[in-house]
Amino acid sequence: MKGSRCRLLVVLIFFPFLFNSCSEKQDFDQFEDLSITPTLASGIFYLESDEATINAAGDVGVFYVQTINFDAFNEEFVAERLLEGTIQYELENTTTKRIGIAIEFLDENGDVLDVESFIVEPNMPEVFTRDVFYGPGGRSIDILTTTSSLRIAVGNLSDSTSVSTTSDPKIKLSSGAEFLFRLK
Amino acid sequence: MRKGIKLIFVIWFGMHALYAQNKQLLYDFNEIPQSLMLNPGVKTSEKWHVGIPVLSGLSFQAGTSGVTVNDLFADDGIDFTTKVRERVLDAMTRKDDFSTTNQIEGFYVGFRGRNRPDDYYSFGMYGETDIIVYWPKDLALLAFEGNGGANIGRSFDLGDLNLRGEMLNVFHFGVNRKLSNDLTVGARAKLYSSIFQFQSIHNSGSFRTSPGQNNVYVSSIVADMQLQTAGVKGFYDILDEDTSTTTKDLTSLFTKRVLLGGNLGLGFDAGFSYNLNPQTTITASILDVGFIYNSKDIQNYTLRGNASTEGITVFLPEDINDVNNDLWQELVDDIEETLPYEENNSGYISLRPVKVYGSIRYDFGEANGRSMENCGCGVNMERGGGKSGIYRNSVGGQLFLMKRPRGIQPALTGFYQKRLGRTLSLKTTYTVDKYSWTNVGLGLNLQAGPVNFYILGDNLLSYRNVADSHYASLQFGFNIISWNDN
Repeated sequence: MKGSRCRLLVVLIFFPFLFNSCSEKQDFDQFEDLSITPTLASGIFYLESDEATINAAGDVGVFYVQTINFDAFNEEFVAERLLEGTIQYELENTTTKRIGIAIEFLDENGDVLDVESFIVEPNMPEVFTRDVFYGPGGRSIDILTTTSSLRIAVGNLSDSTSVSTTSDPKIKLSSGAEFLFRLK
Repeated sequence: MRKGIKLIFVIWFGMHALYAQNKQLLYDFNEIPQSLMLNPGVKTSEKWHVGIPVLSGLSFQAGTSGVTVNDLFADDGIDFTTKVRERVLDAMTRKDDFSTTNQIEGFYVGFRGRNRPDDYYSFGMYGETDIIVYWPKDLALLAFEGNGGANIGRSFDLGDLNLRGEMLNVFHFGVNRKLSNDLTVGARAKLYSSIFQFQSIHNSGSFRTSPGQNNVYVSSIVADMQLQTAGVKGFYDILDEDTSTTTKDLTSLFTKRVLLGGNLGLGFDAGFSYNLNPQTTITASILDVGFIYNSKDIQNYTLRGNASTEGITVFLPEDINDVNNDLWQELVDDIEETLPYEENNSGYISLRPVKVYGSIRYDFGEANGRSMENCGCGVNMERGGGKSGIYRNSVGGQLFLMKRPRGIQPALTGFYQKRLGRTLSLKTTYTVDKYSWTNVGLGLNLQAGPVNFYILGDNLLSYRNVADSHYASLQFGFNIISWNDN
């Protein structure tokens, strides 16, 4: 009697939970649909020069030119995942000089892939900004993924004697980038 | 890369485990010898017991305080990325965790002292695996969203990375002593034989990108991060070699570590049971107060320092003569110098996760004399003179506390236990903890002659859809028990 009561309890109470457990249908292949596309931001290049340095270059015109190895974009991991992005340039000029700036994107052979040029007027009251979009509808993303170095040239398009009356006159070039990557 | 990410997902949601090593069904279920492992001071009545090797005690627990398998992988037609966004990234916090614990008893034996029948000695060996990974919320957001866009100015907390895991074998010996009819105390010494251990639990630091003082953006990182591992590299090296003897080598290393050939540690358990009156009993125990000294097969990884960059910077006239065209590489080198990633082999001490149990139990429904005659109980019980063990019903509450990397984790349990003679005993529990507020468990202990079988299942309501469960645990085992010389 006791044995049958035990069996009944076991059957009725306990095991139904364990053996009649169920689960909704799961589809683990959904993982393949996961899309991870972070936006990464970083400063790229900053140049500042005082007016005295510009004047010291005399009538040469170009007072700064530099080629910089820049493999940030063409690293394999980055190049394969780069979807689109924007490079933002900001320019300030409180000198009396009209300044010309050229940023050339060079490939491994030193060939020019793209050029970003600026003419900066003297005594600019506000910061000048320019956003350059790379990707669908914009410039080719291949420009970035094959860029191996940047050549930056800054020239004085005015005289080399005038001096601004403002405090600490300078020309400043700032640049930063926001890029969309596909991690998965 | 894709396989790597998938592997991480599979591991996390595959183990979708517990921790909550809380064994509320087994605690103070003194008809089951394994209850001694949760309270060395539990009331014991048997003369001796032998656990059937490997089958005497198996427990598997799994829990996730955040997302469930069903939340993500249900075939519901919702875009998977949207589900990850809404149910993981937006919903889970750094306090949520994925964790797993399982125990397998190798052997477990207990016997009453011939000359001191009030003493019950027990010893044995069991293997245990504990892994807990807290949800690294800020790091996940950084990977998913990046530091740009709306996250400009946001500080990502590197301390969100917090994980701990170990596999070990435990040799133990315990003494349970009935000091009086009202008080039973016990203690258990433990020798830990570590198979592997890893932890990254004291990380701090932040990563932030914001508008720069000079350039458009400045990115700053302050990091004090460390991953300590012991015993992992040995297994990794064997797998990495991938020779024809890989399986044999793995087995050999595993066996060596199980049998005290790896890192060792010491610990103890203690507990008591005290009758406030003939029908009311309070109990408490503290488990795994101990440590492992990790000195062999150590491989630690550190990232300490701070760095800040606005990109390549040129200031004229100061840099007018710097014609170096490797400014980018210099920048990278500077960051690596101020924020070095290093490896070392320094030994370290890992603490065992301390657990504390407490309970109060009220017994009622006195059994009739016939039931008592057949109970078989007795060496200790007969001499005890009390009525403990002859009540058909018990009701009470239990408290469980566990030390975890991010503080004490509590669980509160109410229970009811029903004894049907000495053959069958049932215990049901309702437990509230961080994993579930609807955790109803049921345990069964069956005594068929000398053969004892028990099975304990938690969170039974979740069995309607196991994949949607935040917590699941199952324990079962077989023992041979003797109460007298028959």
